[in-house]
Amino acid sequence: MSARIVAVLNQKGGVGKTTTSVNLTYALAKLGKKITVIDFDPQSHLAVSLGVVDPQKSGIDKVLLEGVSLTQQLIPVRKNLNLVVAGPRLQEIEQLMDGGARRGDLLRKALLDGNRDEDFIFIDCPPSSGVLVANALFAADEILVPMTSDYLALQGLSHLMGTIKKFESALKRPYKFSLVMSRYIPTRRISKEVLSVIQKYFPGQILATTIRETALLAECPSFGKTIFEYRPGCRSARDFTALAKDFLEGRMM
Amino acid sequence: MAEKDEDSLIGYDPLAWMHRSDSNQDSQRDDVDELESHAASAFASANAEVPGPEMNHDEVPIIASESLTSEQGERAIVVLEPVLNIQNVAVLHQRLTQMLSNFEAIDIDASGVTMIDTATLQLLLILKQTAIGLQKSISIDFPSDKFIEASELLGIAEMLEVDQAASGFF
Repeated sequence: MSARIVAVLNQKGGVGKTTTSVNLTYALAKLGKKITVIDFDPQSHLAVSLGVVDPQKSGIDKVLLEGVSLTQQLIPVRKNLNLVVAGPRLQEIEQLMDGGARRGDLLRKALLDGNRDEDFIFIDCPPSSGVLVANALFAADEILVPMTSDYLALQGLSHLMGTIKKFESALKRPYKFSLVMSRYIPTRRISKEVLSVIQKYFPGQILATTIRETALLAECPSFGKTIFEYRPGCRSARDFTALAKDFLEGRMM
Repeated sequence: MAEKDEDSLIGYDPLAWMHRSDSNQDSQRDDVDELESHAASAFASANAEVPGPEMNHDEVPIIASESLTSEQGERAIVVLEPVLNIQNVAVLHQRLTQMLSNFEAIDIDASGVTMIDTATLQLLLILKQTAIGLQKSISIDFPSDKFIEASELLGIAEMLEVDQAASGFF
């Protein structure tokens, strides 16, 4: 398997992880890339946003807890886009006490299994920093951090970078790391200043397109639609198309 | 606190540590095997049977021990003892303050803590805030259930960045 494994990660809530996961993966699928996206948040918001609402349906929980193959849990939700739902037992992973670091290695091992042909596997992480996130970090090659342009998000990013650096040090490999500015409000001065601070610390690591805050992005999950399906051609859809191209071509600020 | 441009809306810069720590990256040499071993021992330590609060305090080392302090470049690791209370907080304060002046970063291993009082928690909080002001870093690693419970009760878990963090693997 040679898929690039991307953890969409930020322990802060409300920064646009799921919105990014839904719309970026859809945009990449539209560009012809074969994508698997894993809902790694027990709240199951990613699945709901893609129109899969059965709370009892098993998914990555069964893969991690019972050793079922990932391939068995794939749900084709759109052309080129497969979803693995969280499943009702995913939260149990956070309570696993036995196994030391091995309990953090469950997802990595599960992703190694099987002969799938994805170009990318995206992991939509929960807004926390527990065992699930550790699993995502053990498994991922790349980290994509959605970031809002407010001060507290900057504080959260500092905490997150501490965790990432510990993993890099322990695993003896650097992650490919990129940030995406989401929910960006270009008219606010604080937005520009936060972006400026981030640019200082992450030169060449911020995807070139900012995802601007719009009401449409907040509306489409309730219809189980991506922004491309909910309001084709709108500003947010254009933002995500540009972001997908940035992601593929490595275009950074 | 970091210096602030007069017109800037950003006061303290929480990412400032990143530039300083880049030069220290090579000092950390753990590999995955060591990680697993370390994590396993940390979890074992957290779950091990440790003396309860009714123990004879005279027989127990109560503060961070020098012998349990390891240094990696400009980073120090402190292992907290199981019982931490006001009787020992002054000594702990003195030791940690001294370490903060000598090191850029301190990792406090709280995996073995079975009892901690508000005085000690306040000390750790002040230490963390002091470190931020000095643009240094303090992190609480492997917090035991009792440590998490006490810090949540006092409402300072978030400020101490005590969660069942991924950092618990280290």
